[in-house]
Amino acid sequence: MTDIAAAPPSPIGTASHWLKKHAFSSLPASIATVLFFALLLYIAYLVLDWAIIGAVWSAENADQCPAAHGACWSVIDARYRLILFGLYPYDLHWRSTLACVAIVLTVILSCVPLFWSVQRLALLWIVGFGAYYLLMEGGPIGLQQVTTDQWGGLSLTLFLFSSVVLIGMPMGLGLALARRSKLPVISYGVAVLIDFIRSLPLLATLFTAAVVVPILLPDWLHGDKIWRVIIAFALFFACYQAEVFRGGFQAIPRGQFEAGQALGLHYWQILGRIVLPQVFRHSLPGTVNMVVVTFKETAIVIIIGFFEILASANAAFGTGEWAPYYIEVYVFVGLIYWVFIFSLSQYGEYLKRRMSVAKR
Amino acid sequence: MPDMQASAVEIRNMHKYYGAFHALKNIDLTVKSGERIVICGPSGSGKSTMIRCINRLEEHQEGTITVLGTELTDDVNNIDEIRREVGMVFQHFNLFPHMNVLENCTLAPMLVRKASQRDAEDEAMRFLEKVKIPDQAHKHPGQLSGGQQQRVAIARALCMRPEIMLFDEPTSALDPEMIAEVLDVMVSLAQEGMTMLCVTHEMGFARSVADRVIFMDRGEIVEEAPPEQFFDNPQNDRTRLFLSQILGH
Repeated sequence: MTDIAAAPPSPIGTASHWLKKHAFSSLPASIATVLFFALLLYIAYLVLDWAIIGAVWSAENADQCPAAHGACWSVIDARYRLILFGLYPYDLHWRSTLACVAIVLTVILSCVPLFWSVQRLALLWIVGFGAYYLLMEGGPIGLQQVTTDQWGGLSLTLFLFSSVVLIGMPMGLGLALARRSKLPVISYGVAVLIDFIRSLPLLATLFTAAVVVPILLPDWLHGDKIWRVIIAFALFFACYQAEVFRGGFQAIPRGQFEAGQALGLHYWQILGRIVLPQVFRHSLPGTVNMVVVTFKETAIVIIIGFFEILASANAAFGTGEWAPYYIEVYVFVGLIYWVFIFSLSQYGEYLKRRMSVAKR
Repeated sequence: MPDMQASAVEIRNMHKYYGAFHALKNIDLTVKSGERIVICGPSGSGKSTMIRCINRLEEHQEGTITVLGTELTDDVNNIDEIRREVGMVFQHFNLFPHMNVLENCTLAPMLVRKASQRDAEDEAMRFLEKVKIPDQAHKHPGQLSGGQQQRVAIARALCMRPEIMLFDEPTSALDPEMIAEVLDVMVSLAQEGMTMLCVTHEMGFARSVADRVIFMDRGEIVEEAPPEQFFDNPQNDRTRLFLSQILGH
């Protein structure tokens, strides 16, 4: 007797079987499948034709753009430095490039578990941000000074984003802890503050920091506009993040505190070694969400006069000769956003996997 | 040295209120060093609350609690000192889920007793052997059965080398087939002379191990007797009713 079932199915066999089952199970299903794939191929062809086959690539050939039926990437070739660096002095772009590298490296390194201790992270951030600031500003290390109103483009976006998250994250944790305080003055006060800030549009908060605060406060308290905006943005971030952490705190059973107390640990030891590691785990999905949204929201500073990447992109096609090619510029900027945000969310997925392994 | 031999725990005229609710009424209890006490009673009778007062997981409002010669007051130093000497095992284990078994056991000795990591791990392995799960040392609590988790919790408490162990219904959350492995560990601990206060409904354990059985109801200690007398000749009606309910079938 031959055992037919024992023969292992060939890969081709399983693939055709799968297709038959899911795509060609009946005549209408087969027609739908064929039509759908035909449409998909057609769209793919259109995109390819526009982006690559019919595109003009270099700035020298820009005169061919009006006649070409594809994308005019010449605009990127000609204007990418404006998009990446904004109004930063042209011959000092190398400093802005290095500053960008410093901040990206800082962010990447702080994602590596090796750096996950308070001392190492603090050192890393001080070095990373110090390098960024000194390279961009230049004055304190004897380079030509570039004031913050000339900063712009991708390097400004990255700086805003990482400063807001860096300052806002501990602030959010502080607010979440204060909201759990046993002293009603503190817990209610913080609850009111959180709800107040969350009820304001981000734009109003930033506008207040940029425009209203200088009117109210004496001169010596103004500080640089960029720092006022970063701190206001960080406060806004912190109020949302505090609620994300709060959910994490609520997921920790009381018994965890009690077990720590019964072992003789002090409040801060229980918090640091037992509670917070679990809170971070529970609040990870919400935190990744906050970080991703914040990256995109940095574009809003355009309104209070900062020249971040989207603003400098607008400027890139702002002159008459490039005006028709705004689509190309937005696609380019969109790609930059996508690279950063996709990396962030993939990193979030990695963290979730890593933690679920540890928990099992 | 204070009179350690004489009494490990001394509770005098202790009252505990939750707002207007009078949870513990005039508790008087003396536990000598090395004594094994079993506390039983219907749910809501205050037995858990009473032993949780001993290491200040609950605060009492009147009367005094003295543990190993140190009086439990609002003084944080006294509370710390008492918590270092009193180990506790909970109904729901309360292991730290983000740490493996070994880390669960070494955390407090390293932070509180300032033991080196090496010493703490050596000692933790000794206690894990004692509770018969040294091979699980590198697993996380979520990978263990309930009985194994509770044995880890006992080992974790023992790693602080406490003078007194409090057990708050240690077997109530376990599946029946896992109760014996936990009770075995508790029996061997009792045989080594550990001072133990156990809130439990395991009457077999009470009969074989306890020096005294305490019956609580409605926040009061109703009856207090050696196990033979407690089970064979209970004096109080409420005790008799309770025993008939839990031993009834």
